[in-house]
Amino acid sequence: MDISASFSLCGSALSAQRAKMDVITSNLANADVTRTAEGGPYRKKSIALVSEPVKDNFDKSLRDALKTVRVAEVTEDASPPRLVHNPSHPDADAKGFVAMPNVNLMSEMADMIAVSRSYEAMVTAFDATKNMALKTLEMGK
Amino acid sequence: MIDATIKGLGITTVPTGKPLRPSGAAVGFADALKGAVAETNKLQRAADGAAMNALAGDTGSLHQAMIALEKADISFRTLLQVRNRVLEAYQEIMRIQV
Repeated sequence: MDISASFSLCGSALSAQRAKMDVITSNLANADVTRTAEGGPYRKKSIALVSEPVKDNFDKSLRDALKTVRVAEVTEDASPPRLVHNPSHPDADAKGFVAMPNVNLMSEMADMIAVSRSYEAMVTAFDATKNMALKTLEMGK
Repeated sequence: MIDATIKGLGITTVPTGKPLRPSGAAVGFADALKGAVAETNKLQRAADGAAMNALAGDTGSLHQAMIALEKADISFRTLLQVRNRVLEAYQEIMRIQV
């Protein structure tokens, strides 16, 4: 098994976690945005990941089983906007309600922690793989 | 011999039994070493490029640059080990009493 193929596998997972973090950051940044180009408040974005067969020169038996990961698509959450009573807001309707983004700060923060832990896990896996390679080079000393 | 957990994944190991040698005539050690040096040099250049891209804020991401650097590092260490072993063997031969 080629060590650089293992690294590519780690790299794809790191890229995917970075993309997830970017989406969460966008959700948090736009948590109070009531105007968008499409009209209405900002809508929470979710990311879907898809696994792909590895293209690198893994061992034949592993090549069929192992999968790299890639961002499939970023979708909008269809849940309705949060209505907040705030008559002084410029975007308030006739009854004084403002449609706020359907972003839940608590769940975004929880997702962010999960993503950063996943990222750390992948970095640890990378380090472990590298240490295995370095240990192999110490063989016979 | 397959571990029970790997069996569960449906992985079957097929022994190829073929030595890793390029097609055609057998290559000499010098050629193999030359190839290894070229490969390491290529990886070092790729790592340089990835690091420059990451620093310039271009297309390259930070972790891709780090992965390229680690690849180059391991490749270089492998080459260094080969060189060390060859030198050891050479010195061992030079110590032969005649």
